[in-house]
Amino acid sequence: MPVLEGKELRIVGFLCNWCSYGGADSAGVARAAQPTDLRIIRVPCSGRVDPLFIVKALLNGADGVLVSGCHPRDCHYSAGNYYARRRLEVLKQFLPVLGIDDRRFEYTWVSASEAQRWQHVITTFTGRVHALGPAPRFGDSRPLLKVADMALSALRPLGTGKAAALDELKKAIKARLPELECVIGWQQGYDGAHTVPLFAKTPEDVDKLVWGPFNVNNPAVYLPSFKGKKVGIMVKGCDGRSVVEQLQENLINREDVVIFAMPCEGTLDMARVSEKLGRYTSIDAVSCDEAAVTVTADGKEHRFCMADFAQGKCYGCTAPLAATADASVGGPVSVNPGPYTPPELALLDSLSLPERMQFWSGQMERCLRCYACRNACPMCVCRDFCVSDSRDPHWMNQKDDEREKLFFQTIHALHLAGRCTGCGECQRACPVGIPILALRQQISRAVGQLFDGYKAGFDPAATPPLLTYAPEEKNIHERDWK
Amino acid sequence: MRIGVFICHCGSNIGGTVDCAAVAEKALTFPDVVHATDPMYTCAEPGQAAIEAAIAEHRLDGVVVASCSPRMHEPTFRRTVERAGLNRYMLEMANIREHVSWIGKDVEANTNKAAELVAIAVAKLRGNTPLQAKSFTVNKRALVIGGGVAGIQAALDCADGGIPVVLVEREATIGGKMAKLDKTFPTVDCSACILGPKMVDVAQHPLITLYACSEIEDISGYVGNFTVKIRKRATYVDWDKCTGCGACSEKCPGKNTPDAFNELTGLTTAIKIAFPQAIPKKAVITASHCRQMTRGKCGVCAKICPTKAINYEMQDEIITEEVGSIVAATGYDLMDWTVYEEYGGGRYPDVITALQYERLLSSSGPTGGHIKRPSDGREPRNIVFIQCVGSRDCSIGRPHCSAFCCMYTAKQAVLTKDHLPESQSYVFYMDIRAPGKMYEEFTRRAVEEYGVDYIRGRVSCVYPDGRGGYVVMGVDTLLGKPVEITADLIVLAVGIEGSRGAAALAEKLRISYDSRGFFMESHVKLKPVETNTIGVYLAGVCQGARDIPASVAQGSAAAAKVLGLFSKDRLENDPQIANVDIRRCVDCGKCIRCCPFGAIEEVSVRGEQKAHVIETVCQGCGLCAATCPQGAVQLAHSTDNQILAEVNTLCRY
Repeated sequence: MPVLEGKELRIVGFLCNWCSYGGADSAGVARAAQPTDLRIIRVPCSGRVDPLFIVKALLNGADGVLVSGCHPRDCHYSAGNYYARRRLEVLKQFLPVLGIDDRRFEYTWVSASEAQRWQHVITTFTGRVHALGPAPRFGDSRPLLKVADMALSALRPLGTGKAAALDELKKAIKARLPELECVIGWQQGYDGAHTVPLFAKTPEDVDKLVWGPFNVNNPAVYLPSFKGKKVGIMVKGCDGRSVVEQLQENLINREDVVIFAMPCEGTLDMARVSEKLGRYTSIDAVSCDEAAVTVTADGKEHRFCMADFAQGKCYGCTAPLAATADASVGGPVSVNPGPYTPPELALLDSLSLPERMQFWSGQMERCLRCYACRNACPMCVCRDFCVSDSRDPHWMNQKDDEREKLFFQTIHALHLAGRCTGCGECQRACPVGIPILALRQQISRAVGQLFDGYKAGFDPAATPPLLTYAPEEKNIHERDWK
Repeated sequence: MRIGVFICHCGSNIGGTVDCAAVAEKALTFPDVVHATDPMYTCAEPGQAAIEAAIAEHRLDGVVVASCSPRMHEPTFRRTVERAGLNRYMLEMANIREHVSWIGKDVEANTNKAAELVAIAVAKLRGNTPLQAKSFTVNKRALVIGGGVAGIQAALDCADGGIPVVLVEREATIGGKMAKLDKTFPTVDCSACILGPKMVDVAQHPLITLYACSEIEDISGYVGNFTVKIRKRATYVDWDKCTGCGACSEKCPGKNTPDAFNELTGLTTAIKIAFPQAIPKKAVITASHCRQMTRGKCGVCAKICPTKAINYEMQDEIITEEVGSIVAATGYDLMDWTVYEEYGGGRYPDVITALQYERLLSSSGPTGGHIKRPSDGREPRNIVFIQCVGSRDCSIGRPHCSAFCCMYTAKQAVLTKDHLPESQSYVFYMDIRAPGKMYEEFTRRAVEEYGVDYIRGRVSCVYPDGRGGYVVMGVDTLLGKPVEITADLIVLAVGIEGSRGAAALAEKLRISYDSRGFFMESHVKLKPVETNTIGVYLAGVCQGARDIPASVAQGSAAAAKVLGLFSKDRLENDPQIANVDIRRCVDCGKCIRCCPFGAIEEVSVRGEQKAHVIETVCQGCGLCAATCPQGAVQLAHSTDNQILAEVNTLCRY
């Protein structure tokens, strides 16, 4: 419904039934004058507010969104607001990456007796939204095309894995093979510059396994479909983190998975490789030295130095060897754990809020809605019930619209909050090269900053920060309303 | 769906600033709305009858009432639609009074806002489905926590109504604060004489199980079926054998034990019975002052005890009780008044609390009922009472009134004159709050018949005058003059706060509490006994300051609530709870991890592990629904689709 032109802005409130809705009632009973902009949606608890409702509102015309619940300690359901506080704070830190001003979203606590506080909160928040003015509309922003600067230095030397003891690993795999349904790994694809997944069932299959910079995809994505059967899996460091996260979420059973690990020296960014190769009919030869891969296409040699052509995630990789493994070949790799911002995220960090909106507008224009990003994600659990296909709950429609497409990416990113291991498969699988990993990286960065540097995929026994709470949060501070 | 919309004028409450007819007209354009009117008073009988008639006439299967807050009349209108044959959950309300007409006078904006609130109510209603409550059995036993006068009353009323009661008391005896009082206002009758018989009734009632020296360890379950773990602290005396003869206490050599029952005004023995009328009349050893237990040699009580009840090795014991309802009656404690440096901050022995003074007045107290100064045992001549010490004082963050101090101060001043006819009492007060029956008359009597000097004003400082007395400097705000009184004894009316440990207990009971440690009632006016956890009720000062008659009344009220609850053999759950779509569930366990009530469990469905909601435990917060990424958990009556429909109605460009 349209807002009253020139008078009001669209402000949506999610108020918990027990405290804040009652507080707004008390303010009414006290005839406390308030701005008329707010439209209140009554929910049982602030914990009921899925952050996606807020993004949905903000992407679709809300100028401001306010969530208000019971004060910490006073939750009618004893802890709902503690969970809400964590999730809403993560959301608040996530919104700017979409180009949405985080001042348009706020959450607070008002009890049923705090009529004055409610009057103050809503007057202040409405004033703030009016000062910001009507929210810029996603559809109105002109596309801005920018690419991330990939001139990066890695936290550890990158290489081609030429010296990796693959034969030794194959021996270890063959030794365990009889007890396994199969072992998931990589084999050469239609040419030497591509690999495809291999589900090795026989020793002959195992001999086909390959290791090197072309092992780009994450075999962990197949694991949950084998739940209940005993399988082996060959992992790079990043794949290993996905396996750990799947263990943590009970998507696979530890006793059913045999993990074979080797230290990874980096994988190639196939999009940039293809770009440099240009049009070609066939790959004639692929050879490796310690630092680079040489691809001969149509008789012409192209040399890809790993330090220049690795995937963005490889530069910041701190765990090249999976820590959780049943058989490891090759020792641990020393890594300089310096600060590191992934290139895609660094690009967004460098843009202003309107530019970010323009950026996504331009990127989403190219999205085909093929959902390869989702299919490649090892942490996607919705499977056949993905909202994009089932449209139940009706989060999104089938309209070919940049907002809807970006909202799908937001759904995926928020579903991954505290779970994303940064394997980058979503972005790698994207056939049009949209840097969607940045959305997940922003979420992971917010989770890390808020919750003591938490990183998903390192400890199968860890409690993910968004599934727990602390009555006093160390890094979340109540914004006052003075 | 065929929806009827009713836009209430509420007289001029809504109609004054909202064009209700225009809203009703607009509502007819909303999807599925087939009928819209604007009655004058929808909640009145004719208004409700009109809804029922419209449901029949227009074959409505959903109703939106736009009126006051659903927190006020949702139950009313649910009954209305139910009478007309609809499921009670096929009703939605739009709050156009508290959230619209009462907060602004702009008719255009208000009318537009009211229409939009109706629009989102319609959008939500279109996703409503009829819900049916499930029923479950009730364990007709009650737990009363706290054996003060409120808890005693609640326990006795429940037990007299035929309900077995478990009464848990933290101290060695029931009676609470009232047992420590000498006399009670405004009748000046003996506290122990009126409370004593009730305490004996508790001890003798066949349906009451009393656990003294016990605390609540853990509470689980839900209304009708709570499981309570009670920690019975070690008393080092086997109460099954103890006859309460008191021989142990007479011979105990550990005579320098602080006397908690006497508010630390005197010393007592390490083994003792709290006071002569104690219930249970059993001895308890204070381990920290027992010679046998601190130094390993003494054992006098064990030798003297005729029934061999002493057991120095006794350990705490955990007892599990199953009950269907809980009454919290944990009372209060005094705030830490030593923050008031101007009154000596606890350094002057003759500046005492009113509760300590009560023990000095009591014939069972340390002085046998003779008023003697703690410092030198002399009879005081001038006594200054200071009121509102830690009450109504925002400077220390305590804005609340402790409610009964005005009256007991008057009573203590009157009693002082009775005990010491030569004495003179002065009372520094802020206001006299005497609203009860015969209360005002009583305070007048204190002034007019007993010559108590009431001075309206605060005391700025108290300091020793060097001759054994104290100088009290204050101001008389009525005369606008400073006042200086030389006092022998100063009695502070110390403000109260929730009993120590109240917050921890509230967490176990899953009820709310305020910053002063008082438990929160469900509704300030209309549900003063209930809490937000169904089956848990409040009695007495644990909910807020009140005097004895009000505590007794609330004890009875809580008992009436328990008896009312237990009048049914089966209870119905609220069907607004979470459900799991097992096709979508991948058993990732996120909902199980974060459910605040432990209401979700893993079950095996055709060989696969799935989440399952325990209907009677689920409280309907919806945290699980917001947690489940695949939308497998949905909260009935507040599904993702319903909230999305509301958002989409408001935000669309």
